[in-house]
Amino acid sequence: MSLPTISRVPASGLLRSIRDLRWLLRSIAPLATPRRALTQMGYRRPGQPREDKPPWWRVKFDFSKGLKGMKRHFTLLKEEFFAQFVGPMGKPIIEHMLEQNQVLWEFRGPHSLQEWTISCDREIGGKSEVYLKVGRNNETCLLYGTLCSDPPKDGETRYSGYCTMRAKQPLASFDRKRYHDWSSFNTLHLRIRGDGRPWMINVIAETYYTHQKDDMYSYFLYTRGGPYWQDVKIPFSKFFLAHRGRVQDDQHELWLDKINAIGFTLGDKADGPFQLEIDFIGVCKDYAHTEDFAYEKYKRNPEV
Amino acid sequence: MAPFVYSTLIISLGLGTAMTFASTHWYLAWMGIEINTLAIIPLMTQNHNPRAIEATTKYFFAQATASATLLFAAVSNAFLTGGWDILQINHPLTSTLTTLALAMKIGLAPLHSWMPEVMQGLSLLTGLILSTWQKLAPFCLIYQIQPDNPNVFITLGLLSVIVGGWGGFNQVQLRKILAYSSIAHLGWMILILPFSPPLTLLTLFTYLMMTFSLFSSFMLVRTTHINSLSISWAKIPTLTASVPLILLSLGGLPPLTGFLPKWLILQELTKQDLAPIATLAALSSLFSLYFYLRLSYTMTLTMPPNNPAGTLPWRLNPQHNTLPLALTTTTTIFLLPATPTILALFTF
Repeated sequence: MSLPTISRVPASGLLRSIRDLRWLLRSIAPLATPRRALTQMGYRRPGQPREDKPPWWRVKFDFSKGLKGMKRHFTLLKEEFFAQFVGPMGKPIIEHMLEQNQVLWEFRGPHSLQEWTISCDREIGGKSEVYLKVGRNNETCLLYGTLCSDPPKDGETRYSGYCTMRAKQPLASFDRKRYHDWSSFNTLHLRIRGDGRPWMINVIAETYYTHQKDDMYSYFLYTRGGPYWQDVKIPFSKFFLAHRGRVQDDQHELWLDKINAIGFTLGDKADGPFQLEIDFIGVCKDYAHTEDFAYEKYKRNPEV
Repeated sequence: MAPFVYSTLIISLGLGTAMTFASTHWYLAWMGIEINTLAIIPLMTQNHNPRAIEATTKYFFAQATASATLLFAAVSNAFLTGGWDILQINHPLTSTLTTLALAMKIGLAPLHSWMPEVMQGLSLLTGLILSTWQKLAPFCLIYQIQPDNPNVFITLGLLSVIVGGWGGFNQVQLRKILAYSSIAHLGWMILILPFSPPLTLLTLFTYLMMTFSLFSSFMLVRTTHINSLSISWAKIPTLTASVPLILLSLGGLPPLTGFLPKWLILQELTKQDLAPIATLAALSSLFSLYFYLRLSYTMTLTMPPNNPAGTLPWRLNPQHNTLPLALTTTTTIFLLPATPTILALFTF
């Protein structure tokens, strides 16, 4: 015969002085799984049960995978060590001094797609679709799919209909973050061919505080439908700061010394198929462009 | 920033340093250093961008840690020796702890790691204040500590010279290069402090002059990357001629002013039978000279391969007052022949 477990609060007459009895029940209830702060949790799709598993429970331990990983990381470490003898970031210093153009991503085969990740509102229960494949003759990449603005029927989400493609964060050995240093340049140069839809280009820079992790710098990319390629040059001074898609009042220029990723987002609320073909993404230095920042930085409507 | 607030912060900076200069009590000296730290924090965050906020946070953490250690050392010294006087820091433990705390304050190796990241996140003007004015108060205290065993100073100095040269090797950001340059020069100052404090003062003043002229030059041509140095000839051609000389003076080449402190320090170290340390320091300064030469090469000896359709920046008249730059550049380049006079001034 098992002992009865205490699962109820003692009679309230004895505890009249305690206003909230729930804190008392907590002390005799089973210890709950520690909950992480909101800023640290990943996205939880509305209507799905909350996952309270610690992160290490989701990892699959595999010895051979571990060995391959060690080999890969030590190889990267060796390359980084010897790259320092070539110059900063593995490039000779003469390149740093004289470079005016740099191609960062050019799509020349299936291997180039591994540096990118795609996403759409299907993850939150929507009906859009997005795919990424190599274009004709392995010369370009094609981002295509179908946009659908119907919000998922979960009772929480009101808006939907987006597709996005984002570069993965470059990693050094042992999964340390590596950054792009674009401080020698001032313009983003893309060669694209679209279908007339307006896209958003997002540049994600390195931040320090946790509450800044969703900060991104955005600008518009208007594509012209048709068989002709578009050479788009957008100065970095035009990018404005947004947090979780909301444009911020307190604007500042994009610092180019630590860039994590670049992304393209489509959310124009026009349901139907879309296509975007990209030849290359690069940066260049336009000496004629001397603007530091295109928007006002001073405080508008200051408190008196 | 409102002019009233700006002037209050600048006056607080001056007040903090003056308080430390004028104090004989550890507590008052510590207060002056704290006022300095707190006054520069809003100046660093004037521009609301993530890099500046990150730099300010890192600076605050480093300085707060050093201040706490300094206060702990002062209180421990008072407990062990019974005195609060700055000159009476006789116990070896508290003396070492104080030295390490002040070394972290000014960014000496191996406590230097905050410096390049902090400098990278600041504007050139704030970086100038950090490299020059903010060093004075801690240096005043280091100067007054008379250690029995000079090994701590020699270790800190030698490490700083090596790390300052090695760290700046593969940098392309000018502010980080200047941070590593600062670390290397501070190493030279600390190296000679136990043997000849007036030489430390001489090195400090020479360094302040050279750094001021270099920062001012970079502010005038508005450049923070090695790449943009190559078009500075189109902005202000005169600077293209004077900045290499400032850089070579920083590197310690004769017949420029920067040679003077290095020459006298090596001479003094040799007299103290520390020839191997002098050799090591001299060889390590070659690293620094390498990246100074690289900057000179980029600025003066290189023409950028411009596109025919590209345009060069306009040669506008500089809006800043260039008199301080002119004075400090002159002293940075031409002061070596006045060595006997300078020696008479500093040897007391």
